[in-house]
Amino acid sequence: MTLTSLLHSRYFLIGFTLLAALALIAILEPVLVASLVGAETNPLQQGTFGIFEPPSAEHPLGTDRFGRDYATLLIIGLRFSLTIGLLAGLLSTLVGTTIGLISGYFGGRVDAVLRTFTDMVLVIPELPLLIAMATFIPTVTIPLMAVLLAAFSWPFSARTIRAQVLSMRERSYVDLARASDMNNVQIVFFEIMPNLFPFLGVSLAGSVIGAILAQFGLEIIGLGVANTMTLGVLINLTISWGAMSLGQWVLIGAPALLLILIFLALNLINIGLEQTFNPRLKGTTGT
Amino acid sequence: MDRRKFLRYGLRRLAVYLLTIWGAFTIAFVFFRLIPGDPIELYYRELQAEGFSGESAVNDAAAETIRERIGIDGTIIEQYFRFMGNVIFRAEFGGSILAVGTPVRDLILRALPWTIGLLGLSVLIGWVLGVIVGGLVGWARNSPFANGLTTISIALSQVPQYIAALALLYLFAFTLAWFPVRNAYPGTVIPGFNLDFIVGVIRHGTLPALAIIIVSVSGWILSTRSLVVLILGEDYLQYAQSKGLPRGYLFTNYVLRNALLPQITALAISLGFIVNGALLIETLFSYPGLGLLLQRAVTQLDYNTIQAIVLISILSVLTANFLLDLVLPFIDPRVRTQEMG
Repeated sequence: MTLTSLLHSRYFLIGFTLLAALALIAILEPVLVASLVGAETNPLQQGTFGIFEPPSAEHPLGTDRFGRDYATLLIIGLRFSLTIGLLAGLLSTLVGTTIGLISGYFGGRVDAVLRTFTDMVLVIPELPLLIAMATFIPTVTIPLMAVLLAAFSWPFSARTIRAQVLSMRERSYVDLARASDMNNVQIVFFEIMPNLFPFLGVSLAGSVIGAILAQFGLEIIGLGVANTMTLGVLINLTISWGAMSLGQWVLIGAPALLLILIFLALNLINIGLEQTFNPRLKGTTGT
Repeated sequence: MDRRKFLRYGLRRLAVYLLTIWGAFTIAFVFFRLIPGDPIELYYRELQAEGFSGESAVNDAAAETIRERIGIDGTIIEQYFRFMGNVIFRAEFGGSILAVGTPVRDLILRALPWTIGLLGLSVLIGWVLGVIVGGLVGWARNSPFANGLTTISIALSQVPQYIAALALLYLFAFTLAWFPVRNAYPGTVIPGFNLDFIVGVIRHGTLPALAIIIVSVSGWILSTRSLVVLILGEDYLQYAQSKGLPRGYLFTNYVLRNALLPQITALAISLGFIVNGALLIETLFSYPGLGLLLQRAVTQLDYNTIQAIVLISILSVLTANFLLDLVLPFIDPRVRTQEMG
């Protein structure tokens, strides 16, 4: 089973293309913003354009209540939402994988302790505790937010990886490696790691979804990273100035749709990975 | 089932339950004390920002009084024992800043029924619908209709509940005005056992409940479908089929029966997490449950209320798990033989 067999999964291909398109927009953010509002204008500056202008060639999505080009805000929001989500997801996968690897590979008492700890963190509902912490921390920066989000989401990866390592440990190629005098570190990195890649992908995609969702939850309450425009902040702002009663549904719908597309893309990638690399599930998740 | 064996099993589960509560509360305590920044200092700055003209720095004596009142005075060890004693043995969460003079416990008790009613009911309805539809979709997995439903579910299950609620709110409350925009019942009726109040509660609860149900149903459809498709490949089913059992009987007593077990476990977990899920939906509809209480506590920097809601949310997850453990031996023969044999 090689990585190229992923290309036969329709779910993976659609998800990957969608995510790549979103990532491209996020990466090209400075260029796109400059072409939309001009390089000199600060896109977050209020009162640059008229308020509530309908969509036009100049403003593809119109302008908001503060006279800002909405398409620009959306692209900036997408960039920061993805950045924070990816950062937190990477961190969480790193921590979770390390714990899952140690737990699954060594087993015994180490496994028992780590598993109990993992289960304890797993039963703590993350949102209330995140809200509590974000409330009392004076300034939340992007790296700090990533750490906070990862602090509660790593058990998901730890569980996935532990289960895989537990079964791989007993395979004959690991026995062979042991018999040929490889030490534990070599076995983990050269024999087990390469087989974990698909599951690392699943963990990462799952963690990124979790991180963006949790971050969105914070932003809806009015917390989140200080002075940073994300899709969640944009939705919260738009609702709080009454876009609903003013009938400005595009201004709420556009960031909401982008969030849904991010989640959908990551989830399709996950379905594709599971279908391709988990033979037990083959043919169960649709065509 | 042997009663003595069940009693011993139950007591063992109870011990694990209490131990986990202690562990999780300790983790929460540590997290709260790890937060950089002083809540008093922050509260003072907030007051100044609102135009309070007092001294430019926090008065030491005054700060100490507030610290005592919300229970964050003394060394960390003292705080820990006082915290555990108050919370675990007396269910006492201290005073509130949000509503001066009202204990946090009263605020929680007032909000809790709304959250349990709205969220608990929606999660249950979503589960029942999802398991039945998911079972049928898996049973008829090769029909185009079932596949269409699966695709729709994959898309819908990725919509955050809050966004589904936004869409429903915009369409049915703001545009069509079929349902009210906020609160749990109309301000003109008297809460109590009367028809106006009950109708009001249902009308106000419909949109938030619908948002939760739509999203959760699609998740349950997908997971039940995967379970059913796995069961369809099992030998025991083929054996039952070859015996010539009627299809309806096969579906209910073989397929659904076996898919139900993991789904009951999953239901218990979702019910435990309702406090987590309630937060956002409630703030959108100004629904007077724990979520709205938490949002208001956050804007007022109400330390004790925030802490209490975190603890309640942990407690609800653990309690749901504990209750599940007690029910499992009755529905899962494997638990009976392995854990109690």
